[in-house]
Amino acid sequence: MSETASSFRENGGVRGWLGRQPIWVRWLLILAGTVAAFLLPYAEHVPLIGPQIVTEGVDWSSALFEISYYVLLALGLNVVVGYAGLLDLGYVGFFAVGAYGTALLTSPDSILYEDTGWKWLMAVPVALALTMVAGVLLGWPTLRLRGDYLAIVTLGFAEIIRIVATSTTTLRGDRGFASIPHPPGSWGGEPIFGVTDAIPYFWLGLVIIILVILGVRNLDRSRVGRSWLAIREDEEAAEVMGVRTFKYKLWAFAIGAFIGGLGGVLFAGEQSFINSQTFVLQFSILVLAGVVMGGSGNMAGAILGGVLISYIPNRLRGLSVGDTDLYEYRFALFGLAIIVIMVLRPQGLIPSRRRAMELKDREKEVAPQ
Amino acid sequence: MLLEIDNVTLAYGRIQALHGISLNVGEGEVVALIGANGAGKSTTMRAVSGLRPVSQGTIRFDGEDITKMRADLRVVRGVSQSPEGRGIFPGMTVRENLEMGAYTRRNRAEIDEDLNRAFTLFPRLKEREKQAGGTLSGGEQQMLAVGRALMSRPKLLLLDEPSMGLAPMLIQQIFDIIVEINQQGTTVLLVEQNAQQALSRAHRAYVLETGRIVKEGTGAELLNDPAVKDAYLGVA
Repeated sequence: MSETASSFRENGGVRGWLGRQPIWVRWLLILAGTVAAFLLPYAEHVPLIGPQIVTEGVDWSSALFEISYYVLLALGLNVVVGYAGLLDLGYVGFFAVGAYGTALLTSPDSILYEDTGWKWLMAVPVALALTMVAGVLLGWPTLRLRGDYLAIVTLGFAEIIRIVATSTTTLRGDRGFASIPHPPGSWGGEPIFGVTDAIPYFWLGLVIIILVILGVRNLDRSRVGRSWLAIREDEEAAEVMGVRTFKYKLWAFAIGAFIGGLGGVLFAGEQSFINSQTFVLQFSILVLAGVVMGGSGNMAGAILGGVLISYIPNRLRGLSVGDTDLYEYRFALFGLAIIVIMVLRPQGLIPSRRRAMELKDREKEVAPQ
Repeated sequence: MLLEIDNVTLAYGRIQALHGISLNVGEGEVVALIGANGAGKSTTMRAVSGLRPVSQGTIRFDGEDITKMRADLRVVRGVSQSPEGRGIFPGMTVRENLEMGAYTRRNRAEIDEDLNRAFTLFPRLKEREKQAGGTLSGGEQQMLAVGRALMSRPKLLLLDEPSMGLAPMLIQQIFDIIVEINQQGTTVLLVEQNAQQALSRAHRAYVLETGRIVKEGTGAELLNDPAVKDAYLGVA
């Protein structure tokens, strides 16, 4: 038994096995996975396993929607941290810009309402353009910095966004923006995106996730991806190979910002209300933890990480052992889970093979033989 | 002259690393920079490849002023560097590392031709073609660094400490290959701690001390110079 297990691992494990399957098998598996993802809102009807999966203390479809924008954020941050190797501790800033951009253009509480008061869909491209501009604006002066310095500046950026949102009258602090319109569309006279049912929002989130996956995958396989890889592995060597490092780092930032902004507009469209309390620093750290835990530099890993960071706390809600409510201990339990994973699998749950190699190489640098 | 460095000064913050360096490299030459640790050898290389901006002075390459040119454009012009510490991409395979060297080029047929040339120069790399760069031995990584630098078809090859950390046998071998590359038409500027090897292989050489050039001459002249012998060759 253990022999077969080890030979399985030598042959590349699950991924190796997948790679050896004919193309139609792989496509069928992807298709099945996608269909299963779309059917997740009905998971409770699956006998035996279903009731274990669904969240008890939180509406299951709302929990699923939450997962969908966390996954988006993880995918976006993975481009910045995992692909280009830039440590961004303030990623929530872009999520905030996307959400606030939407709110300013659509909510009756906005000072722009007289002039705009747009529908959600009209606000989306403008809000997304805004986040990309924010990404470039933040990146332009800071991407000359490396490692720790960049991390500190990005941390500052997210805090600035939050503080500005809290203390300026235009962005309304705690009072926030209400009545942000929902996404458009109706079915049989009823709006698809209503107030009570979160399932359509989850499906919308899934569709966006799939588009993002396809887009990022194409980028990763292009010259852009090769440039990111080189920058991440050795920035100086990349530069003497002729890679325009600054430009590609800026691209990573802008694309990461765009994906984070997507999460933000989606969030604003579902919640219909946002205020400055949503965009706290812990949020950035949580998403980063998700990416690292799942497997930085690997999209499947980032997705898994995004799922875990939003699912675990929600799953704990309403659970109790004896008299203690586990939800109250969610951060402790969560921290424990992260520590265990990082000790057992420092390269992440679904690691990128290259990243594992890079980690090994860096260890050598720290402690030469 | 292919490369003319004229009175270049360069500082890291407030620490002055180069105090007005002038040197030339003619087409077809192998020129060596020797000197102790911290003398400014690698800094000179970085100034030429564009990794560090210079404070004063000019750098001309192939008749063009490149003092303020971006590093990636210098690669296109024909400057290629094998950086200090080799700079191998650890997660890329040997082949991918070599392909990275041809990053600025588009002609697939020519790139394949140069891949073959690199594999002919370094048969060891062919054996390791699909292995990750991080798994290679020090000597193999050095070969890869040199092979990769050649993949841009440079006019000027900058080699930063090609013998660093290598066994004596391998040092001989790598210098043989440098000479071979030079005979095939590439100009070489190399930085070395191993003054003995560098001076016996180079046409000309410069001696750097604390950011200044204190001596220059042909390799043979410097090999027989009592002061150089004393300071760098370990014989009194």
